[in-house]
Amino acid sequence: MLLRHIATASTLLIMGASVAGPALGEPSITLGASVQETGPTANTGRYYRDGYEFAVQRINERGGVRVGTTPYKLALKIYDNQSEVNLSVRQYTQLLTQDKVDLLLGPFASDFALADSSVAEKYEVPMIEGGGASDQIFSRGYRYIFGTLPVASRYFESTVQALGKLDPVPKTVSLLFADDAFDVAVAKGTRERLQAAGLTILQDERYSSNTTDFTSLISQLKASAPDVVLVAGHETEALNFIRQAKSLAFSPKFYAFTVGVPTADFRRALGNDANYAFGMTSWLPSPQWKDDYFTNAEVFAADYRKKYGYDPDYHAASAVADVEAFAKAIEAAGSVDPKKVRDAIAQVDFESLYGRIQFNPAGQINLPQTVIQVDGGNVVPIYGQKGFLAKPHYPMPAWDKRP
Amino acid sequence: MRAARGIGLGAAIALLALVPWIASPTLVQFGITTLLLAALAQSWNIIGGYTGYASFGNSVFFGLGSYGTAVAMAQFDLPFGVGMALGAVLAILCALLFGFPLLRLRGHYFAIATLALALAITGIVSNLEIAGRNIGLVLPLLKGDWVFYEMALVLVVLVTAVVFWISRSRFGCALIAIREDEDAAAVMGVNTTRYKITAFALSGFFSSLAGGIHAYWITFVDPVSAFDISLNVKMIIMAIFGGPGSVFGPLIGAVILSGVSDLLSTEVSNMASLFFGAVIVLAVVFMPRGLVHVQQNFRRLRWRYFAQNVRNHRI
Amino acid sequence: MSLLLQVTANGILLGGLYALMALGLGLVWGVLNIVNLAHGAFIMLGAYAAFYLYTLLQIDPFVALPVCMLALFCLGFLLQRYVLNLIVRAPMFNTLLITFGFDVVLTYLAQIAFSADFRAVNPVYAGANFAVAGVTLPLVRVLAFGAALLLTTALWLLLARTRLGRAIRACAQNLLAARLYGVQPRTIYALTFGLGAALAGAAGDLYGVVSQFNPYIGNSLTAKSFAICVIGGLDSPVGVIIGGLFLGLLESLTALYVGPTYTDVASFGVLVLILIVRPTGLLGRTA
Repeated sequence: MLLRHIATASTLLIMGASVAGPALGEPSITLGASVQETGPTANTGRYYRDGYEFAVQRINERGGVRVGTTPYKLALKIYDNQSEVNLSVRQYTQLLTQDKVDLLLGPFASDFALADSSVAEKYEVPMIEGGGASDQIFSRGYRYIFGTLPVASRYFESTVQALGKLDPVPKTVSLLFADDAFDVAVAKGTRERLQAAGLTILQDERYSSNTTDFTSLISQLKASAPDVVLVAGHETEALNFIRQAKSLAFSPKFYAFTVGVPTADFRRALGNDANYAFGMTSWLPSPQWKDDYFTNAEVFAADYRKKYGYDPDYHAASAVADVEAFAKAIEAAGSVDPKKVRDAIAQVDFESLYGRIQFNPAGQINLPQTVIQVDGGNVVPIYGQKGFLAKPHYPMPAWDKRP
Repeated sequence: MRAARGIGLGAAIALLALVPWIASPTLVQFGITTLLLAALAQSWNIIGGYTGYASFGNSVFFGLGSYGTAVAMAQFDLPFGVGMALGAVLAILCALLFGFPLLRLRGHYFAIATLALALAITGIVSNLEIAGRNIGLVLPLLKGDWVFYEMALVLVVLVTAVVFWISRSRFGCALIAIREDEDAAAVMGVNTTRYKITAFALSGFFSSLAGGIHAYWITFVDPVSAFDISLNVKMIIMAIFGGPGSVFGPLIGAVILSGVSDLLSTEVSNMASLFFGAVIVLAVVFMPRGLVHVQQNFRRLRWRYFAQNVRNHRI
Repeated sequence: MSLLLQVTANGILLGGLYALMALGLGLVWGVLNIVNLAHGAFIMLGAYAAFYLYTLLQIDPFVALPVCMLALFCLGFLLQRYVLNLIVRAPMFNTLLITFGFDVVLTYLAQIAFSADFRAVNPVYAGANFAVAGVTLPLVRVLAFGAALLLTTALWLLLARTRLGRAIRACAQNLLAARLYGVQPRTIYALTFGLGAALAGAAGDLYGVVSQFNPYIGNSLTAKSFAICVIGGLDSPVGVIIGGLFLGLLESLTALYVGPTYTDVASFGVLVLILIVRPTGLLGRTA
């Protein structure tokens, strides 16, 4: 019994004492990340794993990162957090303390970024994340967290602006939102904008994340008949909502979803039922966004598709932007020291395939959303910063009257 | 003889206490996780191993401990000690409130009831504004993992000491009597309700302390992870793997399973759950009474021990 | 008024689907006293079976029902025959643990094989609906309700009228006596568990048409199935229908009158209450 104790304790000590030292050879900078490779959110988590990998590989091909006059290669260490927040917090701590990575890349999802950024702050190592948009992440006065997803509360900003310019102008709106950090933040900001735009909010309903059954909510919406329905939720909720709306014969003049609509998965899952749905994206694979490593966004999308077998969306582009931001910051700082890199990140300002990378004092990027609509199986940009880019199909016809 | 064992035990504990200063930070992290799981397995042991009531409700107590600490620290800026006390009080109240009606159920109805309780409370907490609803709460940061390590170690020592006392006391005898044949125990004059409730509350108390430490360490709580059912299953597996109803069984189970699981989840990233599932199945089939029981009988029976287990339970 | 009617109709139809999901669990629990925590995983596998049959072979999900049921039957039979039979006479708690182990392994394997992407079975008529007295009824849900009633009746007939059913019930009542009468318990147990899995497979098939699914939906479906079995009582398949309808209505009405985030509180809160007050369920006789 006693011997067992001593044996166990010694084993643990020996295990721990054998810490793997850093790999010798070419000078390299290691970026560490804990992403969702398995688990319920893995279908979006993979965009981050692949985006990080692709960016690191391409930067290395183009000569790596220059620190002073010495070229450094980038290395990547990724752990699978199995979609569990607690595990990802422990993995980030491990990345810093055992694997001794130099800098951190973030996970997907606001609730993960919220918890994991505390690790970065604790150890004073900068983390750039492209997966968490909730305002909460950036409102704690943390200095070591930066985010490349646009501010959550502004997600529907372009959409609300576009609503005001439609003909006939919609008057009533219903807002549905999931109860996680990101969607609550979206709803908060959207509510204010809707009120400022003079729309009457008929329903302002919070629903449980991962709800599969929207029939009660849809029945309520049908009874009150709003002109516009805005849904802040996850892709699978958007899919369930649309399918159930069809099966209950509910069709408002306009409905928009925060996520899901731009992805190929969405259109494939719904087929023709995806038409008329509005969504938004902070990124489109357009040649107008030039990039030092990937030529431009369109070329990037094609290369990504060739390498990974599926189309990238703004998640992947955001991940690539994170790595590029680190590269630029390290070169600007002329050092790999975390504090110096952190200060350099706060000052970066460059054009990339993701758009203009520049962080506000709280650490968040400032990118506008483009309103898009699905039309005949394609994603069409409808409304951008400068107004309408194409004529939207509005109002949406009833389900049985669709062409 | 007894004194030598006591001194040896003391030495082992002292050695463990020094770990943060002689081992790598990753080992300390692993240590904190394992010690908390060991404390949880041991606290489950009180109600599950000794009393025979398989509780899926310990995750409720763990969650209440986490939330008590989080609400006190994040919403009211109170110190950690107050938060832990609040969590413990909530857990004990919950144990008393639900213990009376639920402990009247036997067998798997009790297990299902505690499972349902955990799910219902998750739903309730995710609607409470003060608990941050479904988004959860962020706690203040404390740099220095050694603090959490030592607290977890103290907790493990404390709960093991209590279990040790239980195994030698009248209270423990009563619990074992309840486990073996509750009706006979009642007939013999054992106040089964009082003992069951006490065991449940005791179990809840320690689970809540583990929850409080965990919340402060991770700096984040949300309903899904705080009241996680799979955490409850983990502590049950560890207690059963090690030996329910014994003093050191749950600790051994926790160390071994946690160690291998951690190893797998870093080296072979996602195999950890496959491993866990396989261990559960094999352990339940071949060694349902845990490693301690194996150790006691192996010398006598060798490999026939495992075959015997199967033969006794199959149809 | 018509909103209430619509929500009630929604609840009833949802209840039909729920009842179908819980049927397999109730059979195995009521008859074999095995609490199958992997039940949700079986449902999930049924959904994937229907999905692949539809996307690769263009087989309509309702036509594919027998195939899904057969596939899951085989899986359940094998699991019972070679693994679960080993612990039948152990403390009941052990079956909880071992089936939990199955659940973990099956979910993991499903994730490896099918990826974590959300899928759905989307036949042409998936969105079809018809209106009755001002209430819109989705076609697929009505069909699922019908399938639930059909399968429940079939199960009841099997248990009450056939030799196999009598053998199953005999094993449940008194194993020793059953053996004396020549019943082979190993095979009967395996058949029963297989039957439970087959019913789960049928439920999964229909679930896939109604909603998105991925490898991780199992756990919440198992929890709901439990609630239904306990609420309805385990004595007869009819109890499961009652339990399913009750839960479906409860969830729909809670979402309407209290708030969509309270459905879990309502379902599991009621479950706890029923366990405290009347553990044998709404229909069950005293144990």
